[in-house]
Amino acid sequence: MLALLQVLASGIAIGCVYGLVALSFVLIYKATETVSFMQGELLMLGAFAALGLHLGAGLPLALAAAGAVASMALLGAGLERAVLRRAIGQPHLVAVLLTFGLGLMVRGGIAAVPVATQGMYRLPFADGSVQLGPLTLASGHLLVIGATVILAGLLALFFRFTRAGLALRACSEDARVAALMGVPVDRMHTLAWSLGAALAAVAGLLLAPITFVHLNMGLVALKAFPAAVLGGLTSLPGALAGGVFLGVVEAVAGLLLPEGVKDAVPYALLLVVLLLFPGGFAGGGARSGR
Amino acid sequence: MSAPGALRRVAPWLLLLLAAGVWLGPDYALGQATMVATYAIAGLGVVIVVGQAGQVTFGQGALVALGAYAEAVLAGRGVPVILSLPAAVALGAAGGALASLPAWRLGGLYFGMSTLAFALLVEEALVRWEGLTRGAAGLATPALALAGVALDAPLAQALASLATLLCALFFCRRLLASRLGRAWRAVREDEAAAEACGIDAARAKTLAFAVGGALSGLAGALYAHWIGFISPEQFGLMFSFELLMLAFIGGARRLAGAAWGALVIVAIPQGIAVLRDLLPGDWARAAGLEAMLFGAVIVAVVLLRPGGIAGRR
Repeated sequence: MLALLQVLASGIAIGCVYGLVALSFVLIYKATETVSFMQGELLMLGAFAALGLHLGAGLPLALAAAGAVASMALLGAGLERAVLRRAIGQPHLVAVLLTFGLGLMVRGGIAAVPVATQGMYRLPFADGSVQLGPLTLASGHLLVIGATVILAGLLALFFRFTRAGLALRACSEDARVAALMGVPVDRMHTLAWSLGAALAAVAGLLLAPITFVHLNMGLVALKAFPAAVLGGLTSLPGALAGGVFLGVVEAVAGLLLPEGVKDAVPYALLLVVLLLFPGGFAGGGARSGR
Repeated sequence: MSAPGALRRVAPWLLLLLAAGVWLGPDYALGQATMVATYAIAGLGVVIVVGQAGQVTFGQGALVALGAYAEAVLAGRGVPVILSLPAAVALGAAGGALASLPAWRLGGLYFGMSTLAFALLVEEALVRWEGLTRGAAGLATPALALAGVALDAPLAQALASLATLLCALFFCRRLLASRLGRAWRAVREDEAAAEACGIDAARAKTLAFAVGGALSGLAGALYAHWIGFISPEQFGLMFSFELLMLAFIGGARRLAGAAWGALVIVAIPQGIAVLRDLLPGDWARAAGLEAMLFGAVIVAVVLLRPGGIAGRR
């Protein structure tokens, strides 16, 4: 029982990271119809940026983290203005290849820095553990869960109560009608990308105490796709819930099923869900995903 | 195609091969030509699925893997190539048909995600089924033997793969001019309109994946022989995307695009190797150069020449 609770906690924590990455993916997809295959690279870049600002430039950790997230938001906006804008209105594959190419460049850029490839780094926070009665929980896990809850709350407030949030929702509902109502659709696309990049960077920072910072940490984004699909690809709460669900299922599968099956579980689950609920859990049965 | 037309199309390739042979040495150039032809066959599969039938696939690498493993396992047990090669092609086609089944219910991006999941599951299965595939340790493949003669000289391998590529191109040309080819283009342009004209869209899609899978399986079988050693990580997600990039760089709408794309994909690592000797200091040893160049090339092609190298603009 105790073991199960601990496994559940770690599953929820890693699921929150999946969920955040899926959230960034869905945010971008909804607002701009662009499929981003570079969220994993953005996540890694965010973590490395914080690492560089903290260890390299000697900033205090909190400042370094804030700086990393802010610079990733700027990068996302810049990329949208310079390159990604060109993919709007084209087939999905064009955006996929464009973002994949950009991701390769980011990855190559980091790999070209000799220090970055020499091993795993840790960001020195949340590396203890917390005792709750008989239960021992890693404080990194608790931090991830807490931060995700706060972030989800902030995003909900943003979408509900601010002008920009409302405009962004209008854009994802129907870009043309939004434009006719006076919403600056171009600027909303930029905003969506900068939010998406910043969210990925936050996910990278939160992942840092769990898996450390290294070149392949972006692979976690591959689990975010099933999470996003589970949530129906167009629902922000769905993406987050899908991520947490996936994390828990994966953790429990690691406990119950034979060694090695765990890694295949998210994709098997994805195939099953796609076949049974073509619109995702949150999408409802009526919509086929075209 | 008229004879002068054929000559005009083949001539640049022969000149390229000749130039590479003079510059890099004949054996090396022939080895690279073998790889270009093999990649081009695999790329043809993507061109059929993506460029002709208009479907999304993120998992073509898994179909290449199926062909490669079928060939490696069968050839390792002494099955003659005349049996093992069709088996590899059939397994690739079956895998493609299987991967396309979700298309009966799903469209667009959802279906793309299902091909991604399919590819990752195949890769996982290849790692785990150790009794057959020897898992992550990989599988050695003997040289291709035709009628008792082992093809281990670079010239023989290049000729075999180029001949296979030409056959595949010819086959695809005929196929695209057929009823099925027209059905693919109709589905690509507008699925609802195609169905209204009496085209069975689901069947057309499944056949596109089967043909694409057969071509990729064939390429995988050749690849296993040329490389002589295969392991699951060679056919990971990166390889699937390499094939996708190949088709886009070359031009997914045209069959020749597969060949041009294969040339670029094979040439980039070689170009890096040349650059390494020219660049000074740390930059030469940096590991990320190749990924950066791949990324830059695909971004440049998508932005500047959306039809690919072979595409008309």
